[in-house]
Amino acid sequence: MFGINMAESGGEFVSPGPNSFDFSEVPLFHLGGLAVTKPMVQLVLGALVVFVFFYAAFRRATLVPGRLQFAGESAYGMVRNSIGRDIIGSHDFIKFVPYLVTLFFFILINNAFASIPAIQFPTFSRASMAYALAGLSWVIYNAVGIKKHGLLGYLKLQSVPSGVSPFMYPLLVPLEFFSNILVRPVTLALRLFANMFAGHLLLILFSTGGLFLLEYGGVGYVAGPLAWVLAIAISFLELLVQFLQAYVFTLLNAMYISGALADEH
Amino acid sequence: MDGTLNGSLNMVGYGLAAIGPGIGIGLIFAAYISGVARQPEAQGRLQSIAILGFALAEALAIIGIALAFVLS
Amino acid sequence: MQNLIFLAEGTEPTEGGHAPENPLGFVPVEFALSLVVFGLLLFLIWKFVAPRFEQTFAERTQAIEGGIAAAESKQAEADAKLAELEKQLADARHEAARIREEAREQGAQIVAEMRETAQAESTRIVEHGKAQIEAERQQAVTSLRAEVGSLATGLAGRIVGESLEDEARQSRVVERFLADLEAQTVGADNGTTPGSVN
Repeated sequence: MFGINMAESGGEFVSPGPNSFDFSEVPLFHLGGLAVTKPMVQLVLGALVVFVFFYAAFRRATLVPGRLQFAGESAYGMVRNSIGRDIIGSHDFIKFVPYLVTLFFFILINNAFASIPAIQFPTFSRASMAYALAGLSWVIYNAVGIKKHGLLGYLKLQSVPSGVSPFMYPLLVPLEFFSNILVRPVTLALRLFANMFAGHLLLILFSTGGLFLLEYGGVGYVAGPLAWVLAIAISFLELLVQFLQAYVFTLLNAMYISGALADEH
Repeated sequence: MDGTLNGSLNMVGYGLAAIGPGIGIGLIFAAYISGVARQPEAQGRLQSIAILGFALAEALAIIGIALAFVLS
Repeated sequence: MQNLIFLAEGTEPTEGGHAPENPLGFVPVEFALSLVVFGLLLFLIWKFVAPRFEQTFAERTQAIEGGIAAAESKQAEADAKLAELEKQLADARHEAARIREEAREQGAQIVAEMRETAQAESTRIVEHGKAQIEAERQQAVTSLRAEVGSLATGLAGRIVGESLEDEARQSRVVERFLADLEAQTVGADNGTTPGSVN
């Protein structure tokens, strides 16, 4: 489509692609031989924002909360109660709450960077960063399960389905092991990455495409603004997706932990 | 009009592969919604099950996009 | 990644001058940085935020529950007091009824007693009067008898001219007279007229 337009006008529309996410050629600055790129800075910034927010909210925690403390408590309490307590269960959710809260808000703010002006890049569209979080959660839920059930007990819990005749085991055990131990971290990481990547790609496409159409003229005077209107609509959709992905990532972590802690499968 | 249409055939494949999980996710949430409509008090239990089913179904789409990028 | 090119001239997306990076590629620096930053944030939240939240949360829960408990105890106290007061009121009512009943009984008793006393008194007065009358009558009879005797003798002596100074005779005469008188009276009852006597 754009190729056809481009061929007629002689102008060059560079469609956004994986290159739009590659900052290795344009580092912001160098730190001891290490090229520091924009996503890296965002990652640190996101962590700072999360910590400063919660620290400020709870620095002078009072019985009757102020405005900031109320916001902090609502945010913390939402993850604590609706994800931690409801999924893991009130017996031993409390020690996972800091992890879940950190995870949720760290992902949320880094996703939200895609929509914050002047930053406008979702940190986790860099797959390696999502790999790190998924890897960490893989370590945590397996460690929790092994600590509770022992290595063999945990492997049995995760890979031997109950209520199935033993004749089905040769088929089901590898499948369960594959899906519960191997695939989970991969899907966790890639779900987050792919959603952020695709959403950002869409936004780039619609905004640069709209600009190109305006410059192209003719039918572009109608199509360009239309593309920008669509870009705005997609931005709102992205806000929803950003929240949803952070929520799903955290929720799945809680479910994996709760599954690893379960007594009977 | 000698326009070009370029891109990766992998992505076409991925688009086809995403149909299945898309339908699956749709079915999961349709069942979830009708379940909650019938029994609003069961929402808490249904929600976690629905999200788990959604994650499992979406895993297929995610494996698809991984393969689309990785395979050459 | 293999680019499949449809229609005519292929254009390699070599913007920036380097080969396109696979978006799924593994970048060790980013992986490590992400782990470190997340780990640090997790540590900070764990250390500084979570305990304070839980503490505040527990304090608030306790404060609310304490308030509820205090209110409940107050309520129970008020209930107890109310029950006590009601009991006291009931007691007082009961007491009043009892006293009224007692008073009524006492009054009835007093009335009965007084009536009895008055009855006794009146009886006694009547008896006393009767006795007095009897005694006076007796006295009158006695004195009358003595006077009648002397009068009669005097009168008879004067009539017969005969001195009846002799005591023995006198008394014998009187006695006989009286006996005659009495017999006369009895005879008068039988319709016979007594004859004159000497």
